[in-house]
Amino acid sequence: MKNQKLYNRITVLREENNFSRKELAKEIGVNFQTVGYLEREEYNPSLGLAFRISKIFKLPIEMIFSTEPMKPLSQEVLKYRKKMGE
Amino acid sequence: MSRAIRRLHVVLNYFCIIAIIVFFAIGKIHGWSSSILIVIGLIAAVGLISFITLYIKSKVWKLVHAKIDKLDEREVQLTHESLRLSYSIFTVVSLLVLLIFAVTAKEYDSLIMIIFIGLLYLAHTLPAAIIVWKQKEF
Repeated sequence: MKNQKLYNRITVLREENNFSRKELAKEIGVNFQTVGYLEREEYNPSLGLAFRISKIFKLPIEMIFSTEPMKPLSQEVLKYRKKMGE
Repeated sequence: MSRAIRRLHVVLNYFCIIAIIVFFAIGKIHGWSSSILIVIGLIAAVGLISFITLYIKSKVWKLVHAKIDKLDEREVQLTHESLRLSYSIFTVVSLLVLLIFAVTAKEYDSLIMIIFIGLLYLAHTLPAAIIVWKQKEF
C-alpha cells in the first residue's frame, strides 16, 4: 500500500510560535529529526501525533494537514470562520 | 555522509565479508600461508573501518538495536520496514547457501534436502503464523 502524500504547515506554525525543532519535538514526544521529516513532508504522522501537533498549535487538524497543497493560512482562517458562522 | 557514499560503504562492507570467506576457503583448501593470513587481516581491517564509519559513527546501529519504547513512531516504522526487508534477504541468502551445500555435496544427502524444504516452508509461513498466534480475531 502506497501512502498518500500529506501536506502540512508545521514549519510556518512552529516559527510563528517561536519553537525550535528540538522544543517542538519535546512537546509532541518525538525525536527532533522526525520534526524535520514532518516539515519536509517526507513522513505522514499517525492520527495520535497529528492530534498532539494540533493541540500544541491550538488549531484544528484540517488547518495543519491536507491531502492537497496548502493555501495561505489567512485564506483558511477566513474559510473556517465562515464555516463556523462568525 | 551522502547516500551514494553510504551505499558504497555498504557494498564495501559486504564485499569484505565475502572476500574473507573466499580467502578462508582458499587457505583451507590449499593450506595456510602468511600471505593469505595478511590478506585476510587487511580485508578484516577495511571491513571493520567501514563498519564503524557506516553504523557506529552514524548511530544507525543504536537505532536498529534500541528497544521499541525508546523510539518514536517514524523510527519504529523505519526499523520495521528495514527488518521486513532484512528478513526477506536473509531468508533467500541462507536458503541459497544451504541449497548450494546440498547440491555440491560429494554424496547426495536427502536429510539436507529435507531440512532445506522445511526451512523454506518455515520462512514462508512464519510471518503468517505469528499473526495467527498473536491476534485475537482474524
